[in-house]
Amino acid sequence: MRILITALLLLLPTSVLAHEFKAGSLLIDHPKIVETPPGAKVAAGYLTVVNSGEGEDRLLAIESTTISRVEMHASTITDGVARMKQLESGLPIPAGKSASLGDEGTHAMFMDLTRQLKAGEKIEAVLAFEKAGRVPVVFNVEKRSAQKVERHEHQ
Amino acid sequence: MNTSRSKVLRTIRWVSWGLIAVLSTVLAVLWAQVRFSTEAEAKPYATPFQLTDQNGATVTERELLGKPSAWFYGFTHCPDVCPTALAEMAQVLKELGPEADKLRVVFVSVDPARDTPAILKDYVAYFDERIVALTGEERQLQQMTKARYIFYKKVGDGDSYEMDHTAGIQLVRADGRFFGTLDSHENADVKLQKVRRLIGE
Repeated sequence: MRILITALLLLLPTSVLAHEFKAGSLLIDHPKIVETPPGAKVAAGYLTVVNSGEGEDRLLAIESTTISRVEMHASTITDGVARMKQLESGLPIPAGKSASLGDEGTHAMFMDLTRQLKAGEKIEAVLAFEKAGRVPVVFNVEKRSAQKVERHEHQ
Repeated sequence: MNTSRSKVLRTIRWVSWGLIAVLSTVLAVLWAQVRFSTEAEAKPYATPFQLTDQNGATVTERELLGKPSAWFYGFTHCPDVCPTALAEMAQVLKELGPEADKLRVVFVSVDPARDTPAILKDYVAYFDERIVALTGEERQLQQMTKARYIFYKKVGDGDSYEMDHTAGIQLVRADGRFFGTLDSHENADVKLQKVRRLIGE
C-alpha cells in the first residue's frame, strides 16, 4: 500500500504536490524556484507565508548552503520601464493574513549561480523571520509556469 | 522712349514676382513632402548599427530587415521580466507554426559586459533556437537604442549591478517602420493577434 501511494505521488506533477513547512503560527507554502536557462546567473524563487498568529512577523532574509547569495527583490514596470530594487525591510507578514514573494513583482533572487538549476531539483534554504526565527525549508525547482504564456490554450 | 522703358521694367517686375510666387510654392511643397514623409514613414529600425550575434557574427540593420520582426531589450542577469518575455515570444513562435518563418524574434542584451555571445547562445536557445541574440559595444548599443526609443540604464556598481530597461516588445515592419508594441501586461492572446496582424500585412 505504501509503495502504491509513493508511486502515485511520484506520478503527480510537482506543482500539485504543494509542500509546506510550519514554524509556530506560520505556514510556509510551496517554496519554488523557476528552472533557469543555461548560462543564467540568477534564478527567481517564490513562496507564500500564512500567519495565523496574533502578531505581525517579517521575513528578513533567505540563506542557502548551495547558492551563495540570496536576496529579496521587487521588479516593477513603471512607464514601460522594468526596474528592480531590493526589499530593504524584508517581507512583512501581517497577523491573520498571508504574504507572498510573487505578489507585485516580488521574488527571492538566487544569485551567482555556478550551474543551471533544473526542474526536479530541491534547493535547501533557511528562512530567517523576525519572530519565528530560522526555519529550514526546501525550494522545489520547477519548469517555468505556463500560466501566463499558455492561458489561452485552455479556452 | 520713357514709356517703352517703363513698360519693360513693369514686365520684368511682374515676371520676377511671378517667379518668386512659383518658387515659393515649389519650396513649400518640397518642405511639406520631406517633413511629413519623415513623420509618417520614419524607419527607426533602418538606422545603421553594427552588433554581434550569438554565433559571433557581425550583424547590421540590413540583415534584420526584409521581414517583420519583434524586438526585446534586456539582460540575462534578469530573474523574471526578461525570461518571461522570451518564454512568451517562444510561445508565439510555437503558436504560429509554419507561419513563424515570417517573423524574426530578436533579443538585444543591453549588458555587454556580462552577456557574451557564448552566454547568449545557450540562453536564447533554451527558449527557442530561432531567436536572434545581439549585443556589442556600448557606443553601438546606445546609438541604436536611442534611434529606437529604447531606454536602458545601469544601476549599481561592482558585480551585482542591475539594468533598468524598456520592458515592452517592439514590433517592426519588414522595411524598418515601427508597427506597434507588445506590452508586458497584455495577455498572450492579444500578443499573438498583434503578431499575426504584423506578419499578415
